[in-house]
Amino acid sequence: MHGIFASWRAALLYLLAWLMLGLLLAAMLAVGGAGWGASLVFAVPLVYVYAFATGFSAYYVCRAYPLDRRRPLAIAAGVGMPAACVAALWCAMGAAWNSLLAALAPGEYVPVASGPVLASMFGLGVILYGLAAAVHYLLIESERVRQLETQRLQMKLTAQDAELRMLRAQVDPHFLFNSLNSISALTSLDPAGARDMTVQLAEFFRLTLSLRADSMVTLARELQLVRHFVAIEQVRFGDRLRFEAVIDPAAAACLLPPMLLQPLVENAIKHGIGQMIDAGLVRVEAVRAGSLLRIRVENDVDPDSAGDGTNHVHGTGLGLDNVRQRLATACGHEAGARWARRDNRFIVELALPAVTADAPQSITESEGA
Amino acid sequence: MRVIIVDDEPLARAVLREHLGSQADVEIVGECANGFEAVKAIAELAPDLAFLDIQMPRLDGFEVVELAGAKTHYVFVTAYDQFALRAFDVHALDYLLKPFTRERLAQALAHARARLAAPAPAGQGEAAMRALVSDVQARHQPLERVLIRDGARVQVLPVARIEYVEAQDDYVAFYADGRTWLKNQRMAELESQLDPRAFLRVHRSYIVNLGAIARIEPVGKDGHCAVLKSGARVPISRSGYQKVRDLLR
Repeated sequence: MHGIFASWRAALLYLLAWLMLGLLLAAMLAVGGAGWGASLVFAVPLVYVYAFATGFSAYYVCRAYPLDRRRPLAIAAGVGMPAACVAALWCAMGAAWNSLLAALAPGEYVPVASGPVLASMFGLGVILYGLAAAVHYLLIESERVRQLETQRLQMKLTAQDAELRMLRAQVDPHFLFNSLNSISALTSLDPAGARDMTVQLAEFFRLTLSLRADSMVTLARELQLVRHFVAIEQVRFGDRLRFEAVIDPAAAACLLPPMLLQPLVENAIKHGIGQMIDAGLVRVEAVRAGSLLRIRVENDVDPDSAGDGTNHVHGTGLGLDNVRQRLATACGHEAGARWARRDNRFIVELALPAVTADAPQSITESEGA
Repeated sequence: MRVIIVDDEPLARAVLREHLGSQADVEIVGECANGFEAVKAIAELAPDLAFLDIQMPRLDGFEVVELAGAKTHYVFVTAYDQFALRAFDVHALDYLLKPFTRERLAQALAHARARLAAPAPAGQGEAAMRALVSDVQARHQPLERVLIRDGARVQVLPVARIEYVEAQDDYVAFYADGRTWLKNQRMAELESQLDPRAFLRVHRSYIVNLGAIARIEPVGKDGHCAVLKSGARVPISRSGYQKVRDLLR
């Protein structure tokens, strides 16, 4: 079905509205001097016939003259012409019905239709047709808005999913191949170590594969991923890479978009520790401050690159911008990311609304905002 | 065959050491964990062959080659670098992809032995290596730092500190912080690597850092020279003066 008749409730409301109109017409006739009974018998069936006639025809007329693609004059003509025709037909039916009633019950029925009555019926018919058309236009319009909204949501989800897929794939190929090379070395030097490392690698990839773009993860879970990653990198870098995570228990339960922390730690290792000759520390700190979750990732930087610290920022800028963008998509303007080099440390700070799984309200809300 | 291994990862060195240990004619004369050590070791030990990791702190593999020279035969070792692989293929250079098999390593060694036994026509290998290095440098333009080898030591000179550069025969002389450093490089090549917004070739033999200029002074009838903040005076040729004027306009 279509238009107003698409749902029972809408159809009932529609018929009820027309019943009111029928009663109104009957009242007008009765006030004009005709008897109440005759007026009702005359007006109500006629009005219902007209309800169906306009209900269907106006729908098709509205579809044929879409508001956004036709010029106003064309629409006015397109609706006006059928309105006049249908109203004229209705008047003819009115006259016929009047005669029929008079013929069927000559004694009881006092004819109510006269020239002036039929003329005002014609006017009323045109107006009602116009109203029906307006209602249809409204329905079509709201349907279109709803579809656009669904489409937009669908697209957003698809985009998020694609983004996560990209991030997963973005796990540096160097990381994978270097890790495999480490395993290759360990197989003869330290077979147990080789086995541990394959397990770590497997765990890391299993965790990244279990992520879904549309659902947030707890900081604790993201940290699990990070720890696997760091464990693997520590096999490669040996004593050069030190790692420390200080997580406030209240912060660990907070939710964040998946794969947000991992790229930051990966950057810290690759561009920070990887460029240092001496050992360096990567430190992750998270606290919950009221309604905010604050995360801080800092790493040592090669002191000799102090002169052109741009080198460091240059290499990581892309990854950091990506993190900032993902934060903005997931949490809106409440979230933020900033980074700076202070002395021989590179510091990235994230702030996002603290949401836990028990109170999952604000994710979708803030998305809509 | 005297070999050195250069890689910042202990395990990566261990794999090479293990595989090379089984080769009777191979003697490992050194292991280095970073580019600086590598430049020093190659200069001092003059090995026949170097296994060189590309991604290393401070100096990458290409910079090591640039500084240590192409007398040594290099086999590059990398995990993943599409750009480098293309460059190796273009210049017919040997490389190993991590992780590699014993057979692949043996193949690279055989290749190296053949080269050592019958050296290529003078300078051919060296030319290929130089071409590779300049290819790689072209990717990192504009230049952010100049690497200069001073015996076994490596000097890293951020370009912002350079006041001016003077051509001296086959060398270019960098003037910075009241000192001079010589590097074997051609002037035109250097000019193309520097950021044209910061450095200007004002004379056939001079490139000047625009930020270091204090004023321009007329010299003689219609010559000019740049007086730098440090007090040094750099001659400006007629066409150089034109360029300065265009830039200041």
